[in-house]
Amino acid sequence: MKTLKTLLAASFVATTAMANSSISAVKVDDGVDLSKVKADDKIWSKAKSANIVLYPQTTIKMNDKNANEMNAQNMAKEAKVLAIYNKNDVAFKIKWKDETQNATDINSSSNEYADGFAVQLPTNFSDPQKLPYIGMGSEGRPVLVHLQKAVRTHYEPNGNQTVALQVNRDNTNAFEEDLAAFDKNVSDAAISDYQRAYIAEGFRSMTQIRDNDSAFAMDMSYNKEGWSAIMSKKLKDGYLDLSASGAFPVALAVWDGAKFGRDGLKNLSTWVAVDFEDKKGDEALVAELTQKPEGDAVAGKALADTMCASCHSYGDKVAAMPTMAPNLSNIGGYSTHAYLVESIKEPSAVVVPGYNRNAHKNTAWYTLGEKGERVSTMPPMMSDEKQIADTVAYLLTLKAEVK
Amino acid sequence: MSKRQLAMVMDLNKCIGCQTCTVACKTQWTNRNGREYMYWNNVETYPGEGYPKKWMELGGGFDAAGDLQDGIIPNIEADYGVPWDYNYESLASQNLLGKDADKDGYSVLGASTPGFHPTSQPTWGPNWDEDEGAGNFPSDNYFFYLPRICNHCTNPGCLSACPRDAIFKRDEDGVVLVDLDRCQGYRYCIAGCPYKKIYFNPKISKSEKCILCFPRVEVGLPPACAQQCVGRIRFVGFLDDEESQVYKLVKKHKVALPLRSDYGTQPNIYYIPPTESPAKFDENGKIIEGSTRVPMEELEALFGKEVHEVVKTLKAEQAKRKETGESEILDLLIAYHHSEMFRLDNNYYQEVAKAKGQNPLAPIDTRYIKGKNTKVLFGGGHH
Repeated sequence: MKTLKTLLAASFVATTAMANSSISAVKVDDGVDLSKVKADDKIWSKAKSANIVLYPQTTIKMNDKNANEMNAQNMAKEAKVLAIYNKNDVAFKIKWKDETQNATDINSSSNEYADGFAVQLPTNFSDPQKLPYIGMGSEGRPVLVHLQKAVRTHYEPNGNQTVALQVNRDNTNAFEEDLAAFDKNVSDAAISDYQRAYIAEGFRSMTQIRDNDSAFAMDMSYNKEGWSAIMSKKLKDGYLDLSASGAFPVALAVWDGAKFGRDGLKNLSTWVAVDFEDKKGDEALVAELTQKPEGDAVAGKALADTMCASCHSYGDKVAAMPTMAPNLSNIGGYSTHAYLVESIKEPSAVVVPGYNRNAHKNTAWYTLGEKGERVSTMPPMMSDEKQIADTVAYLLTLKAEVK
Repeated sequence: MSKRQLAMVMDLNKCIGCQTCTVACKTQWTNRNGREYMYWNNVETYPGEGYPKKWMELGGGFDAAGDLQDGIIPNIEADYGVPWDYNYESLASQNLLGKDADKDGYSVLGASTPGFHPTSQPTWGPNWDEDEGAGNFPSDNYFFYLPRICNHCTNPGCLSACPRDAIFKRDEDGVVLVDLDRCQGYRYCIAGCPYKKIYFNPKISKSEKCILCFPRVEVGLPPACAQQCVGRIRFVGFLDDEESQVYKLVKKHKVALPLRSDYGTQPNIYYIPPTESPAKFDENGKIIEGSTRVPMEELEALFGKEVHEVVKTLKAEQAKRKETGESEILDLLIAYHHSEMFRLDNNYYQEVAKAKGQNPLAPIDTRYIKGKNTKVLFGGGHH
């Protein structure tokens, strides 16, 4: 991945000037059922497009050797995001470039993967300074994740008493019409629209919501440039109520099946504010998520190199063991200002679970406290506000360039 | 680490490569629903490419410092081999060869007038190199059979690689299972397992593996592969049960060793190394006295340095048996009574199920069933 090689103050100004914009959600007719909206519907002509940058996930490294080689030079991607809402629903349209359409089905091999996208929402965002950790939330700060993968056919494992349909067709003892009927029954049992809702409190804790209490709809369509995707959901459901807010945070992720993308092999955005155009009470969140750092990034780099680099790797700083601590190479791309400040001051406020604790025993990212709570192995590093501001200003420049 | 550990010992001196275990497993678990290409139990010829192809070179496992190593996920067609079938309807029309038979007279896939042919052109499969072995016939060629199931490791590579906590090791018997409700089909487990004994099921898009026949074991029956073994090579029991033959072979007499323990996963399938092989012949076809065909370096690579001691012990026991007619180790290995090779405890599992309030024991990971984050975890439709 490309990181900043020149450390001139001017280049920091240039990158930080591209601070995230908000997504302005446009009000549409209450009579429209937004769960039925498709990517090419006219309704989107009213919406305002925002460019949201999605950065390669580099906080942890996955253990798939071939995939790691394929993804070593990943750059950031830009997605065009539109949002509309009415009194019942909110809907997003997300467009991103992808040179190849990768969909999987029951004939896919063990090393074929589907393209996909996900929309992540915090279940609580009353304090914009304390949003959930961007990677699947964090303990006490859960997120809702809506995921769609380009899957043509998929079968749930024996959940629907369809055992008779699991038999290989060659073993059915059926011929002609009987075999055709068997094939049809099997194909009817398939799921061809793979969309899921999950709730999570950090890596690995993601659990599927099966109670129908998260009402949402997703859709993906491909043309030769890339994907257009839709995600719509009720403003209020059993997990999240957006109806009373003037704005809410959203984060996006996309997967590229051609590069063996799945799970952590993805590009993701930071928290982005979605601002309802006719609702009040949006100022604090929008201000927090669009603020530009005030610190001195050049001074911050010197601080980071002495205080962070012995455990964290980033850019060309690879002094530490790679599994020692979260890799910061794209931390500026997918972190909020407030998260970075909080993590420096109070590392245990949000503890990134990181690797399975069995996978890298000598470089645990946390220990367990008396009540089983995670205590970060990172001590609070700085208390001087100026130093923190400078360091955060530098960390926010750490991100891959846009392709 | 689990409270107890179920283990298996396989006596490689007695394996005849008949694949009855493979078939027992296949008909019990893997002949349907996306598992057709999988062999949770396979018997490969060593030396050989193995199953999947060159599995020992595909990474995974842990280094000496205990760090999980990157691995490669094999391809179904190229590395496992797809089970193929034939277009039997061509037989009805007496059209066996078609018009474009190849030079050997076989019908070719995609020929203009297709005759009887495989539904996909096989390029690789399990036991593609069966009985090939190494060395020169007849002077010093050799091979032995290596039956392999999941090692139900104490420190599983698959479990450590899973980014979803979807793999768990049962506390009551150490069986390593995939919680299919949590598995998302990411396949990092396959990269993490150095034995490549966890497989991707493309039909359900999830990972599946040998379950050590836990539904059988829970009612006191041995795993299907062990029950059906005609050579009586497989012993099954708890490692902490001093009455079990597994305990006696592994702990008491220390003649059974795990396969490739250098991968650091602490496997729980143990092998009696092959001590018996014919002597080599010299260029005149005469027996070279005292020679043995299976090189000790190969055995050391598979079973570690301890293999020298084990081979010595086994040879000494054979000598002792010849002299005195007595040897507890050989009595065990001869396996006079098949039923004594298995020591499973139905009552134990019933107690566990009672304590958990589950009967039968549910194959799910209990870490996420409390419903902290989701109101309903099981049952109910999804979107």
